[in-house]
Amino acid sequence: MHTDALAPMTPEQASLDFDPASSKHYDEAFDMNGFPRDHWQTIIESFNALGAEGVADRQQRARRILSDDGATYNLTSDPLSPNVWGLDIVPYLIENDSWKALEQGMVQRSKLFDLIMKDLYGEQTLLKEGVIPSEIIFDHPGFLRACHGISVPHAQDILLHASDLVRDERGQYLIVGDRTQAPSGAGYAHENRVVLSRVMPRLFRTSRIKRLSHFFQTLRDTLMRIGKQISDKPRIVLLSEGANSKTYFEQAYLANYLGFPLVQGGDLTVRNGQVWMKSLNGLSPVDVIMRRINDDACDQAELKPNSLLGVPGLLEVARSGKVVIANPIGSGLLETPALMAFLPQISQFLLGEELSIATVKTYWCGTEENRLHVEANLSQLIIKPAMRVNGGDSYYGHTLDQEAKQALLDKIRLAPHRWVAQEYVSGAQLPVWADQGLKKRPSIMRMFTVADKDGFSVMPGGLSRVGSQGNERIVGNNISDTLSKDTWVLATDFESTLPAGMDSSSVQDIALQSNLPSRVIENLFWFGRYMERAEVSLRLMRTFFKQMNGVEPLPKESRDILLKAISLQTGCLPGFVQGDSSMFEEPNDELASLICDGARPGTIKSNLNAMLACGEQVKEMLSADTRIILNDLRAHIHQVDRAYANGLPELPEESLDNLVTSILALSGLNHESMLRGPDWMFQELGRRTERALQTAKLLKSTLTEPLASMQQSLVLESVLLSVEALISFRRRYRNRNRVAYGLDLLMADRTNPRSLIYQTEQLRKYLEELPRNESSELGLSPEKRMIIKSLNDIQLADLEMLAHVDEIDGERSALSDFMTQLTEQLERFTSHISDKYFDHAAGPQQLVPGHGEY
Amino acid sequence: MKYKVRHLTEYEYSAPVALCYNMAHLLPRDTNNQRCLSRRIKVWPKPVYQHEGQDYYGNQTCYFSIEEPHQKLSIDVISYFEIQTTDFIAQAEAHPLTLGELKALLEKPHTSELRMAKEFILNSPQVRCSEQLAEYARDCFSDEIPMIQGVKAFMHKVFTEFNFDPTSTTVATPLEQVLEQKSGVCQDFAHLSLGCLRSLGIPTRYMSGYLETLPPPGQEKLTGADASHAWFAVFVPDFGWVEFDPTNDIMPTDQHIVTAFGRDYADVTPLQGVIFEGGDSQTLSVSVDVQRV
Repeated sequence: MHTDALAPMTPEQASLDFDPASSKHYDEAFDMNGFPRDHWQTIIESFNALGAEGVADRQQRARRILSDDGATYNLTSDPLSPNVWGLDIVPYLIENDSWKALEQGMVQRSKLFDLIMKDLYGEQTLLKEGVIPSEIIFDHPGFLRACHGISVPHAQDILLHASDLVRDERGQYLIVGDRTQAPSGAGYAHENRVVLSRVMPRLFRTSRIKRLSHFFQTLRDTLMRIGKQISDKPRIVLLSEGANSKTYFEQAYLANYLGFPLVQGGDLTVRNGQVWMKSLNGLSPVDVIMRRINDDACDQAELKPNSLLGVPGLLEVARSGKVVIANPIGSGLLETPALMAFLPQISQFLLGEELSIATVKTYWCGTEENRLHVEANLSQLIIKPAMRVNGGDSYYGHTLDQEAKQALLDKIRLAPHRWVAQEYVSGAQLPVWADQGLKKRPSIMRMFTVADKDGFSVMPGGLSRVGSQGNERIVGNNISDTLSKDTWVLATDFESTLPAGMDSSSVQDIALQSNLPSRVIENLFWFGRYMERAEVSLRLMRTFFKQMNGVEPLPKESRDILLKAISLQTGCLPGFVQGDSSMFEEPNDELASLICDGARPGTIKSNLNAMLACGEQVKEMLSADTRIILNDLRAHIHQVDRAYANGLPELPEESLDNLVTSILALSGLNHESMLRGPDWMFQELGRRTERALQTAKLLKSTLTEPLASMQQSLVLESVLLSVEALISFRRRYRNRNRVAYGLDLLMADRTNPRSLIYQTEQLRKYLEELPRNESSELGLSPEKRMIIKSLNDIQLADLEMLAHVDEIDGERSALSDFMTQLTEQLERFTSHISDKYFDHAAGPQQLVPGHGEY
Repeated sequence: MKYKVRHLTEYEYSAPVALCYNMAHLLPRDTNNQRCLSRRIKVWPKPVYQHEGQDYYGNQTCYFSIEEPHQKLSIDVISYFEIQTTDFIAQAEAHPLTLGELKALLEKPHTSELRMAKEFILNSPQVRCSEQLAEYARDCFSDEIPMIQGVKAFMHKVFTEFNFDPTSTTVATPLEQVLEQKSGVCQDFAHLSLGCLRSLGIPTRYMSGYLETLPPPGQEKLTGADASHAWFAVFVPDFGWVEFDPTNDIMPTDQHIVTAFGRDYADVTPLQGVIFEGGDSQTLSVSVDVQRV
């Protein structure tokens, strides 16, 4: 389910490398004689001057920046191998004069699409007068009758519009497709610009390039202006499909750049005829929704009932004018390929003008004449469903064999009005850097417009794309087969090259910005918990390996206790807990699995994966440095996978060190660089709770069973080593390795940041700072009660008594009972936090219809 | 003729519903010969939001949402109507247009009325055209007889060949199965007619409403004995939409009260929407009373 996959390129656009004898392609950079065109001269020279190595180095740097920025496309479910956004560092250059014509043409086109939207969802004169054959609209699943008559309190209904352009062999620009419901790509275009300005700083400075920031400023101003019709302090959110969306990076990126909270359908709710965001501070009102989900997914009450992405009741709020959705629900209708066949007439009818930028020749098969033409010329055409909603199959005539052609023609004859055919257009050739030199590839460019006070403004630039291989026949929607390019519009004046100043009036209410959706804080809470779980297990295993491979290997009794502890700590049971002697003698397979088996819950890898997945969900909240560390962590996980590919390696602890270091870097960063807002607070709550839980479990699993003196001290030593307390312990107690002293350091010592008391004291402090729901609770809240109880228990604990071995049980029963109770209390604490601050609403279910009518 | 209609819809849930959002098509509309004199809708528990409006086809809608926990939902509508008797049906029966002429007009529509009527020869959410459906209706039409007479013959064919059997279908039963088993309820007969007539190229729309039923001679009319009803209407250019009731083999005059029309049942579902929580089961009960006043 993708709102807007970037348009596919036609085979011609992605065909073979440049052939000088061919005149089928317009050449952007070079003239007929092979000399660079005037406006390309500087840049071609710069690239030649850099030399193959120099350019490769820049390309490498660009890739690293993109990867560090988390710039991905079509993220798969594997959080370890994101598809990094592909960028070729040779920009596409457009001269000012050509640009002026394109700009004017796009303004006209957006105006036209806005009028079409108003007409089809209003008076429908286009249908009544026969300008558009009515069956195209009436038979279109994207024509949402429930949206008829909804108006936006603004001059334009279509607020964002994008068109895909190619250049034919004569250099003429043609539009091959439009995006009107939730156009994607503007954020990627901006990221491309940022990256290019960093890897080619000199070239960037010396070329007069129009800035993109005005476009985003206008977008923010427009949404703000519309929001003011609804409320004095309008709140704007960006509604996303979530981390599974192909273009999630861009959604998070835009949310941050524009300063809008990034929300998912479940973060919003309709109450009392208005839209609200479920947040840490309760419900906060929402006035404008910039959406990246499809029309029919927006509202389960009136549109697709089984949508997982929508907000039930949203359409009625839009109808009553209490929320504005950009673009309005139903606008996907205008993306229909059949419309392109009638655009010249529509433009005459609605604007009294000819289209400035022509549309690719399109035949609607609903008339006999067109259908016969298509039948006769099938090999030269692309056949598309006329009422395509979201993508859908296209057929490239020349790729079909006789049988396939016949099958397609039969399909068309069955319902001709449901098909269109478009001519192929060879995209212009653009230089790209490949195989150590400049090569030529066919290209396509997406342009963006946004509504403003007087009409529409056009992003001075765009998202250009070229095929990434020289030889592919058909490039589908798969963006990983194409490379993007920054698009430079060369200015003649200096002004348009200056960045836009921030208009203070359009800055969102600060309160909303710091008020996070419940889902976000929940993910951060779990991010902290998974991180801590991974860390504790890592440290324990690392210690075990060190102790086993040390000068004096561990005695059997100590070893067995540690192995059991590892199973208990990871929760991967039964593991060693019920293992037979052979398992203890040959523990390597199980140990390797506890590290590397991502599919087994509780292992180190599964905890790290879960942590990365939580991070991905709240991408927009992570700082640039955090993303870099997470990237390093991904790389280290791959290293561990490689090291453990054939079971436990020679030095098993070595590759684990890097993982521990990355986690330490993350907590250092949290500590030093994060504002103490609710995001930090919940991440900390998660970490501290988990650390207390893990420590309690560790003490119980390692120290409950009494051992002979030497074996006992080796176990104690290992525990202390794993929590980095061995040196302090030795300094304080010399060589008196008594369990009670260990408990003193790990339970009751306030100065040890890994002790139980330290965690509970911190938790108690954080609770004071959390927002309080104005509830009727008498006295202490249940979560605070739980923490104070735990704190008291730890403070009042008699350590000698806990260390005492019960003669009847033959073990430290008091210690075991104490830790069990503490663990239960902490678990209850987390469920209180979860009940109070996280959202637990299950999805809606459909009202069953009756038998209907008799 | 004046009528009072009471239409009571009740849902019961196996667990409390925390929140619901609903769109109702339960309020009556005006037509050429029908005027709603007054109407009242009462939703319980009291909605926190309630708004009346009109849908794409000009039908009355009532949107509401309830935010207090409830295990029972009731919607009680009472409306008063006046239906004029006209000679519309007599004129329709005399209309000479044949099916062939109608198709020619729709092929090259020259008026906005014709262009807009095309909506009703296309597939709709619950009705797909097919050759099989066209075949069933084809023998009722020819170039010699006016289309309206053909539709009348078709209505009679459905009436005689199909059994009324509420147990044989649900709202989701496909038309092919209805045609196969030759049984169903009024909604199935209306949908089947839409499918057959549209497959022949006749613009046809779904009519939803009530029918006044009369008790057997000498008996009192029972409360709640009536039900909501469905039939269809076909388009005659420059004339209007002519109604047919295949369940009763009559052309409605003044005993059919219209609440809404659309492409099919999905456009005018009496109550649609979603609930939050509410357990795994819902029971629906509906009672309708039509009285002359």
